[in-house]
Amino acid sequence: MDASPIHPSIDLKGRRILAVDDDRINLRIIGGILRHEGYELAEAASGEQALELYATFHPNLVLLDVMMPGIDGFTTCRTLKKTYGDKCAPVIFVTAKSEADDVVMGFDAGGVDYLTKPFRPKEVVARIRTHLSNQRLVEQQKDLVEQLSKANAAKDRFLGMCAHDLRNPLSSIRGLAELMDESAIGTLSPEQREIVQTIHGASQSMLLLVNELLDVATIEAGHLKLDRAPTSIYEIVERSVHLSNIEAAKKNTRIEIVKPRTLPMVDVDRNKMRQVVDNLINNAVKYSPRGSTITVLIHSSATVAGFSVRDNGPGIPENERHKLFKDYGRLSTKPTDGEKSTGLGLAICRKIVEAHNGTIGVDNIPGRGAEFIVSLPVII
Amino acid sequence: MNFSGSILLVDDESHIRKFISLLLRHLGVTRIFEAPNGMEALEVFKREKPDLVMLDVNMPVMDGIETLRALKQLDPDCVVVMLTSLANRQTIDQAVALGAANYIRKDAPSEEIGRALSETIDTCFEPDGTDAGAPPSPQ
Repeated sequence: MDASPIHPSIDLKGRRILAVDDDRINLRIIGGILRHEGYELAEAASGEQALELYATFHPNLVLLDVMMPGIDGFTTCRTLKKTYGDKCAPVIFVTAKSEADDVVMGFDAGGVDYLTKPFRPKEVVARIRTHLSNQRLVEQQKDLVEQLSKANAAKDRFLGMCAHDLRNPLSSIRGLAELMDESAIGTLSPEQREIVQTIHGASQSMLLLVNELLDVATIEAGHLKLDRAPTSIYEIVERSVHLSNIEAAKKNTRIEIVKPRTLPMVDVDRNKMRQVVDNLINNAVKYSPRGSTITVLIHSSATVAGFSVRDNGPGIPENERHKLFKDYGRLSTKPTDGEKSTGLGLAICRKIVEAHNGTIGVDNIPGRGAEFIVSLPVII
Repeated sequence: MNFSGSILLVDDESHIRKFISLLLRHLGVTRIFEAPNGMEALEVFKREKPDLVMLDVNMPVMDGIETLRALKQLDPDCVVVMLTSLANRQTIDQAVALGAANYIRKDAPSEEIGRALSETIDTCFEPDGTDAGAPPSPQ
């Protein structure tokens, strides 16, 4: 490994440098200075030759004399930048000390730095090392980002595949348990019934988890497709309230819907929006004590319409608010009847609502609980 | 459920066939035939002439869409309900365009599966169990 004090872990051995100068003595001096650095060096005696050599040598850095017969250093640099764009190697101009204007023009032409003649070996070595290190770091960072995106995509694919393959067997287990519980294959003893109900409950919560993982994978992979249609918010909410009341009754909890004076219409994917409503209502039931009343309200203005769900829970602790709508953002607050939580539900809600150009938020109602508010653009 | 006809259940996963057939029996359907893929489904269809076919979309050998096409060729009036696990809009639209009467998500709770099936039966059959003609599009 290179023992450079700046970037001790960056190995610059074998990096290619193209030195361009019409003065053979200067080229020899540069060769002498860089000899012990382990770089691969190529030499060109003119701008034209440099352009030709660049294409086959693929340098990592170009040392370019400004004053040359034929095309000068600035033109050579501009041509390189034009030809190779972002992938062009950094260019360090070589100029005589007296030509201060050259420095400015050099930066204008796309150079990254300059060296003045006569060379001070330590300066040449240090500057070249700095630019090569920077370039290496940028390369490494790009590689890393690429690797990470690939790994992340693979993770999402894996998650999706897993979840997908688990769904069918889980739905069968749940369905069969459900049917047994309904005595579809004969009457069960109380003990058998209890076991069947346990199987049903366990497969139900696994199915929920698998579905949520699948949702996250789908959304993260950018595959969330909205099948939009003009829809009445009240209609969606009413259906969810009706279905959720069956489950909530087990906790002696009631969900009330306040019928609005107007029935606002929004352009949404019904199934996806139902998922949001279901999720918020289920959460409200989950985090409210037994025997609570959950209130669902419809709101509308000239531009936005939506709904809100008020629970009787402990509210959202201020210091945990930032975690609420994030993946796996479970809070310290616990469900009141041993219900399960994946920590994905609200993150999915947020992603669905945002895909509809809507907003989701939460307010604490002092002494009473939390109110989750979803707002969507209305159809004008 | 008010249905005296027979149902052919096609799914490559035996646990799904077990679950759906038990559900069907629970709903009062007595004549149920099963097939694990499209090929066998066509054989059973020709032999048993079921009144309704419940057809899985993703199957080896011969998938649901291909099977649906073949079934419609054998009998343009046959009532087919697609069984899906992930409701892929494109596949559903394709199936409906090919003449499927409805689709049911098999990962839905049994109550919902039963309701969707009843709806299809109510719209596709007269109360005495005879075919009510060309099935309307779902929803």
